[in-house]
Amino acid sequence: MPVQAHDAQAPRSAPTGVYVYGILPGDIELEPGTTGVGDPAAEVRLVRQGDLAALVSDVDPAEPLGRPEDLYAHRELLDAIATEMPVLPLRFGAVVTGDDAVANELLGAHHDEFATALGQLEGHVEYVVRGRYAEDAILREVLEENPRVARLGEQIKDADPDATRGARMELGEIISNAVAAKRAQDTATLIDAAAPSVADSVLRPPGHELDAVYTAFLVAEDAAKDLEKAVRRLARDWEGRIELQLTGPLAAYDFVGAPDQAAVS
Amino acid sequence: MTTAMQPAGGNSTRPQPSGLADVIDTILDKGLVIDAYVRVSLVGIEVLTIDARVVIASVDTYLRFAEAVNRLDISEEKQGLPGLVGSLEQNGARNKTKGALDAAGDKLREFTGGDPEPARAPRRSRREN
Repeated sequence: MPVQAHDAQAPRSAPTGVYVYGILPGDIELEPGTTGVGDPAAEVRLVRQGDLAALVSDVDPAEPLGRPEDLYAHRELLDAIATEMPVLPLRFGAVVTGDDAVANELLGAHHDEFATALGQLEGHVEYVVRGRYAEDAILREVLEENPRVARLGEQIKDADPDATRGARMELGEIISNAVAAKRAQDTATLIDAAAPSVADSVLRPPGHELDAVYTAFLVAEDAAKDLEKAVRRLARDWEGRIELQLTGPLAAYDFVGAPDQAAVS
Repeated sequence: MTTAMQPAGGNSTRPQPSGLADVIDTILDKGLVIDAYVRVSLVGIEVLTIDARVVIASVDTYLRFAEAVNRLDISEEKQGLPGLVGSLEQNGARNKTKGALDAAGDKLREFTGGDPEPARAPRRSRREN
């Protein structure tokens, strides 16, 4: 790889870094002009090693990464590739010292592991289903199901917040627990509904107090339609109660193994 | 609520496939962690981002729920659910992916309504070698 002459602009010769997006089969061609993270966005290129390749671009390690543009660039690059071929997505922010490290320490040293994982992903993509409770609807449900909640609700109604803090805390905690129970139940319903059309599923932790379901599914490409139908049916059942979103196809972020276990080996 | 963090308009023709919060959940919490594979040649880089995750069982949550009940008109309990009837919406065309690197347009099918975003606080993390 040619070394770019940046020295005139950067007298202290900032160390270079190579940002790694993902690992994929080596028989890929990139469209020229594809850009990735950084400002200005650097051109994405491939580092090949045997039958594997890594998708990389140059970054200046002195520049912090993480603008929304960087995050979207990382994800969109991988998601676009995932519709064409299997890809092992790396977590955002992976930077190594150079192409040698990518080729030898990453691809070379872990060839069999990566090749096996890519083989298993072949023909599959990820979809994420996320649902958010409609607040009023879910609160009414809890009120109806729990007389204690209704009583506490009356107690705090238009009362001085400071004077009723105890009641508010109790009310809120009961509701929080009730929503957690509904979340578990609705998630089980989603998993059941999706089961015939998915190869695997991973629950994501709720990221919001009104999250109803948040699950990643690994789906064979020809089964995506079936998953969509199942989700659509659920959306109808839950209309007015849960707002459902189906996102995908995505790279298999949730299905690339447990990094912690890999670290131990 | 995401306005401040959206990619600047104009110079970006990228579709907004899903909320930034979802993107963060996906690529900051998931994916292979390079530290597990490369030991010698890592470069520590500062990752600036935002924490989209709300602590979901906290005093704040409890008080928010209580306030929401307070706002709720309990006397209207038996009524229907106004304003929440959504329709199936499809964003983008399906199965049109041609070049490997076309920005994927078929990301999100939103089955009802909008997507209330959680509050966010700045998060900074740095990996040191």
